[in-house]
Amino acid sequence: MRKYFEFARVQMQVHAAYSAWFWANTFSILLRMLVIYFFWKAVYSSRTEIEGLPFDGMITYIIIAMFLQMFVSGVGQELAHTIKDGNVAIELMRPYNLITRLVAMDIGDKVIHFVRGALPLSILAFIFMDITFPSTWQNGLLFLLSAFMGIWIGTFFDLLIAILAFWTINLWGLQVMKEAVISFFSGALVPLILFPEWFQTISLFLPFQAMVYVPVAIYTDILTGTEAWLALGSQIFWVVSLFVLLRVLWSIAIKKVTIFGG
Amino acid sequence: MDFLLGVLSVMLQQFAGIFFVKIVFDHIHALNGWTFYEILFIYGIAATGRSIHHIFFDNLWTLGWQYIRPGKFDRLLIRPINPLFHFIADRLQQDGFGQLFIGIIVISTAMPHLGISWGVLEFFILVVMIIASGFIFVAINLFFATLSFWMVDSLPIVWTIFNLSDFARYPLTIYHKGIRHFLTWIVPYGFTAFYPAAYFIEGSGFEKLALLTPVVAIVSCIIAYWFWNRGLRAFTSTGS
Repeated sequence: MRKYFEFARVQMQVHAAYSAWFWANTFSILLRMLVIYFFWKAVYSSRTEIEGLPFDGMITYIIIAMFLQMFVSGVGQELAHTIKDGNVAIELMRPYNLITRLVAMDIGDKVIHFVRGALPLSILAFIFMDITFPSTWQNGLLFLLSAFMGIWIGTFFDLLIAILAFWTINLWGLQVMKEAVISFFSGALVPLILFPEWFQTISLFLPFQAMVYVPVAIYTDILTGTEAWLALGSQIFWVVSLFVLLRVLWSIAIKKVTIFGG
Repeated sequence: MDFLLGVLSVMLQQFAGIFFVKIVFDHIHALNGWTFYEILFIYGIAATGRSIHHIFFDNLWTLGWQYIRPGKFDRLLIRPINPLFHFIADRLQQDGFGQLFIGIIVISTAMPHLGISWGVLEFFILVVMIIASGFIFVAINLFFATLSFWMVDSLPIVWTIFNLSDFARYPLTIYHKGIRHFLTWIVPYGFTAFYPAAYFIEGSGFEKLALLTPVVAIVSCIIAYWFWNRGLRAFTSTGS
């Protein structure tokens, strides 16, 4: 356990060292917030609500979802590259579990991103952009719990896709496709209640809405009462099944490496 | 298979953006007076212009970390052709074709709904506008990639500036005046989509400014190329 904790700590220090990328990221997020703000301002210029959501509810949803989406991917890219350049064979001989090590590094990444990026930026958003707090503190707690699970679902899914690198070559394409599908189905761009009926039904059976939509919908009172609890239940289901799937696929993939004499 | 995956992924990425606009327009009739098809048209021009950049000039992203840092750039300098040409011709990015397809599809979907009649002249102007849009993307990326000559890798800056092009997906009239001027006269992403599109939209009020698009493209390219040459001189005079 201790060594994994060290991996997480080192990763935080690595991040603190690359400050050019930190500022680039921060600035880009600020720009995106501006686009979002003006876009929705224009959307609401001739109406007061859409599907029951007033402007401040909508902008709260969109901004919180944007922040949450930044945390629902993981270390897939690192894993995929390790697989691609063949280093995975060496990594497998080292005295740690590769996936656990990567996840530990990922946690380090996310903590530092939260502290240095998301936290100050969301404070800015709260001050300047009409963002509201959850209606009750219970809702706030439920949101934190739900967001926590959403992040794990995203992390596991990311690793699952990365393992496909054993069988495919165009990683960049796969990565872009994953991002597109997630922003599509996860409700990271708009609340899913704005989508057509059939689309909502499909996404109900996919893991993506459990990554972003569920937590943010709880935050903004789109999901309340029984609906909220059911959604939390589906999140638990996805965390568990993606974890099991990850284990299975990884052991199949590892066998492949060993067979080829890696 | 690999080519297909690349093209498909870029198409899907573009499609996500269009779908988003569609969803929003299911609930509203106009965005600040702009209709769905007008927004689509702006989007299509941006996508097509960017695809020119993506297919032919994608190598610009790699100047710092793949050429200057590993010392690979010096190899280009000893060859008897223009180093910029050599550097850009090093790679053709086939994934960009997905964006091109989507762009063309989107433009042709939106075209009949703009309320103007499409003759040969209009088509000609449209093609010129799109090429100009592509070269504005190229010029902006070239300009900021050139900073790599002084700072080894300017990728974070290039990337941040490139993200500004997100503003260009929507009518510039929805933004604060300061943002609008910035995207028109400082980093001219406005000319990669909104102004060219506005030329074909009746009563947009930007028809005259739109005609400047090719001029802006040429001027940006000249400035970027001049800057590139300065960077090149600074780079070679440090003795490498």
